[in-house]
Amino acid sequence: MTVEMKLSHTAAMILQAVNAGYVYGFSVMEMTGLPSGTVYPAMRRLERDELIRSSWEQQSIADAEQRPPRKYYKLTKAGKATLEASRKRYPLLAKLISSEEVKPA
Amino acid sequence: MSLRPALFFQGSHLALLRCASLLVPRRQREEWWKEWQSEVWHVRQARTPEHGVWWSVSWQGEQEVAAFCLGAFQDALCLRQQHRPKAVPLATTMGSAMQCVLFLIGLIAVSYGLGLLLPGVQRELQSSPYRDTKNLMLIQDAQNTDDAIPSISTEQFGAWKSQRQKLFDGFAFYRVEREAVSWPSHLPMTLTVAHGSSNLFDLLGLDARFANPEDRSRGLLQIILSDEVWKNRFGQDPHIAGAVVRDGLREAMVIGVAPSGVWRLPGKVDAWVLEPETEAPPVGLGFVVAHLKPSAEHDRWGERWRMSSLTPHSGAQDFLCVSLAERTHRSWGIFLFTIFLACLSLPATTSLPLGEYRVHSHRLPWSTRLRRWAFLGCKLALLLPVVYFVSLDLAYLRVTFSPVSSDYIQMVVSFSICLFGLRWMLRDQRQRCPVCLGKLTHPARVGEPSRNFLGWNGMELICVGGHGLLHVPEIQTSWFGTQRWLYLDPSWDVLFTESGLASVVDYG
Repeated sequence: MTVEMKLSHTAAMILQAVNAGYVYGFSVMEMTGLPSGTVYPAMRRLERDELIRSSWEQQSIADAEQRPPRKYYKLTKAGKATLEASRKRYPLLAKLISSEEVKPA
Repeated sequence: MSLRPALFFQGSHLALLRCASLLVPRRQREEWWKEWQSEVWHVRQARTPEHGVWWSVSWQGEQEVAAFCLGAFQDALCLRQQHRPKAVPLATTMGSAMQCVLFLIGLIAVSYGLGLLLPGVQRELQSSPYRDTKNLMLIQDAQNTDDAIPSISTEQFGAWKSQRQKLFDGFAFYRVEREAVSWPSHLPMTLTVAHGSSNLFDLLGLDARFANPEDRSRGLLQIILSDEVWKNRFGQDPHIAGAVVRDGLREAMVIGVAPSGVWRLPGKVDAWVLEPETEAPPVGLGFVVAHLKPSAEHDRWGERWRMSSLTPHSGAQDFLCVSLAERTHRSWGIFLFTIFLACLSLPATTSLPLGEYRVHSHRLPWSTRLRRWAFLGCKLALLLPVVYFVSLDLAYLRVTFSPVSSDYIQMVVSFSICLFGLRWMLRDQRQRCPVCLGKLTHPARVGEPSRNFLGWNGMELICVGGHGLLHVPEIQTSWFGTQRWLYLDPSWDVLFTESGLASVVDYG
């Protein structure tokens, strides 16, 4: 049996931001304007519910750019389905964070 | 060497993060620290650009980085909450812990309510009616084994009263007789009358109802009626004080009615005749109550001790002094004694361990373990009042029971209920799921008795909440001594849990 998960507006906005290519916490913060105390816990819960999944950047890439490696987030299949449902629920979501602004990860 | 302000702020921010990391569960802490350290580095790069001058600081940027780091505390708390073991709700099925507790509370209410209907129990539950009960001593002959039998002569009482006393500062005497008492408009009745010294009620600190000080100065003998006689024989006449009755050949004036349950001394008395010493017969045996002079030394002697005293015939005799505090709290003493006996006898009736638990393979949260012990403690705390009230109810069920009979009945009943109650408490605890405290159900016999030395045989019970299985061996062996609890892992959940329903999730 599938579970229909209805997200709050904040969670839907974070999911939309990740989908739009803002794939790490700080970039999601900058895009949504939400504080770190909201964004990071929300992303933990989204990951717990398997709507997003995280992966560490390769150390060699970070070393080449002389910075610490970052943790990137990506939508799962369930996350995409939930985001679709959320867009219907919150029609302005796509206008707030446009998918055209996709940045390379 | 100078400290760069930027380095100072960087160190402060990392210290903040380090503090927040202490809130993160140990297993997730390392990865959490790595992610936040990386994020702060990037935030710092974006918010505090290098100005090339060592003392230059971007105050706004540092504030933004600090605000970012403060968010780490919320994240750490969120992670901590996510990984906190979920509290398992108590079972709500038949025989749940709540039902068990409510059943015991119901038993307490019923037994206490029944006790309120029984005068004897009411008397035992009331506090002592006497003034300075601890220092009021009932003096008996040390050879006398039954305190209901009078053993002190009037001569001895007179000797104590006339001599200067080091131990006591007041004596009162009474003897109990069956006598005919008549009243003008009533038929003569035979009552048990206590003939006491005039200071008996004053020494005990008892007050009679309807008492009028003027009645005491009329020169007649004074009689105080018991509450029972006043109700049953005198029709609860509120103007009884001042009435003159005939006690044998003498006239006595009723000066009041003793409240119900105040008389805790030997003898079941219907009325008390208070006589001046000149009217008392010179010979006969009775009871003596004395008031001990309060002192620290006397307190150390306790509630029961012996003394030696000269008799009127110039010989020494041993006497036993028993505090009225012991007499008024006798039922409580019996109750505590029987609990002690029941605890000693308990291992002979059932095993004390609560069973084996494979704690290494399945670690229960401390709150669940504590809840299980709290339930056991709660059962014990509720069982003891049940034992006390039921034993009192049966001991004082009939008013015709003598005090000695009541004591024996209370002792036997209290011991029996306490022993079987404790046994039930342990057995009930062993037959409950240690996680949800629900009663285990669906017993199934397993194994073959004929193959006991190759396998094992016994009984298996299951928790309907799906928390585990209980194996109870038929025969105790060295490899299977007591019952064993087997936790079921989450793969079994599908058999017990209900499918999820639509839910609104707030991540914000």
